[in-house]
Amino acid sequence: MTCQDAKDNLPLLLYGELSFDEEERVEEHLGSCESCRAVLEHQRALQEAYDTLELHPSMDLLTRNRMELRQRLAVASSKTSFWERLRHGFTIHIRPIPAGMQPAGALALIAMGFFGARMLPTNSLGVNVTSAGVDNRPVTSRVRYVEPEQSGKVQIVVEETRQRVLSGKVDDLSIQNLLLAAAQDPQDAGLRVESLDLLKSRPESAEVRSALLAALQHDSNPGVRLRALDGLRGSATDPQVRQVLTQILLTDDNPGVRTQAIDLLIEQKSDRMVGILQELMRKEDNGYVRLRCEKALKEMNASVETY
Amino acid sequence: MAAAAVRMDESALIRAAQGGDERAFEELVRLYDQSVLRLALNLLRSPEDASDIYQEAFLRVYKNLHSFRFDCSFHTWLYRIVTNLCLDALRRRKVRKEEGTVVETSEGVLDRMDTIEEERADGDPQRRLLSEQLQRRIKSVLADLTPRERMVFEMRHYQGMRLRAIGESLGTSEEAAKNCLFRATQKMRAALGDFV
Repeated sequence: MTCQDAKDNLPLLLYGELSFDEEERVEEHLGSCESCRAVLEHQRALQEAYDTLELHPSMDLLTRNRMELRQRLAVASSKTSFWERLRHGFTIHIRPIPAGMQPAGALALIAMGFFGARMLPTNSLGVNVTSAGVDNRPVTSRVRYVEPEQSGKVQIVVEETRQRVLSGKVDDLSIQNLLLAAAQDPQDAGLRVESLDLLKSRPESAEVRSALLAALQHDSNPGVRLRALDGLRGSATDPQVRQVLTQILLTDDNPGVRTQAIDLLIEQKSDRMVGILQELMRKEDNGYVRLRCEKALKEMNASVETY
Repeated sequence: MAAAAVRMDESALIRAAQGGDERAFEELVRLYDQSVLRLALNLLRSPEDASDIYQEAFLRVYKNLHSFRFDCSFHTWLYRIVTNLCLDALRRRKVRKEEGTVVETSEGVLDRMDTIEEERADGDPQRRLLSEQLQRRIKSVLADLTPRERMVFEMRHYQGMRLRAIGESLGTSEEAAKNCLFRATQKMRAALGDFV
């Protein structure tokens, strides 16, 4: 082996990347060549010099990256699950759920629909899709995370929403599911009213009925609750609906909602109904509701108060 | 024995993550994310660019994990993604002729030249010999290497990976990786020979 061959192989020797035979030849040469041994030491010093440039990411940088990744994965995960649901034509296989879990299940379903509607992928629906803008730029965005950096810059994670126009019939399941999602929009009561108004044309749908009942029980806006009551008009004899109406009658803080609840409940007169109205008379302060309740009791030939 | 246990845990994590278990995926990320960030930071020498690589790499892993068939180690599969992203970033930087200068270390954001001053002040006998000029020269030579040479050098010198593993990650042979490392070290010795 010549000195040049040995010098060329010194870096690989120090990295331990020479084959057994190659290493043997270099070591043999080094054993008899002082000059190459000096070069080896020089190479060793050079490699130690490289070490001083090594960087280690700070925990802060690592933590920030982990947080950002978690947020991005949450968004990516929602997009995937929504895409899967769309691919399966919104077919949701419902197994019998224990009675106590039904409200939670219904809420979860609606929440999924709401979140899905927020993550609508391009051309994902089997309905006519018209882009609202020719360049497809995001029209709304939401800042999800801000973090000042020591460099003076600010790191911001922005969630962008693209606006598009969809059209289809209410009985199209895709459209219906979007309306169900819109009926739960936390920001826009007007949107919830309009959505429920459209959905009430499909009272035979179990999902629509659940959405109407959920809005009636939980929506903070009385206008939305009144629209939900209107949507339940055709189902007033359904035992589950009557149970919710009774609860609303006794607990809702809006007189208009209580009055409409009476109107729906007395469509099916019963002794139980008489008892409920009499109970209402004992606690009702609003004059108009009392009048409506009194009239209903008289129509059922019942006494207004219990003694 | 311990290594086998780790591999088994990793396989279980991968399978759970493939089945949609997000906690398993997060654990899988945490097994490797520090070394991924370190590789990207050393290659690109910019915390912003390194963070971009980190995010994009693990998003790709998340989106493509279902296609991982255990026909190579997860480490190799992950590093194929990471090295491809880093090579692309290095190539773009070559075109723009840019290089990150401000870096974030365990002490926060620092300029590397300041770090050298601090080390010199510590009185470390080995590092005392290194001049600021040498540090700049090393940085300059590293920047002049081709993206592939730079990648192989970083993976061997800073990450301590064997050439076989480097070759697998880069989708090439061990011999090709060895040639790459040989060229890189030759160039560096030629440029830095007078300084040490």
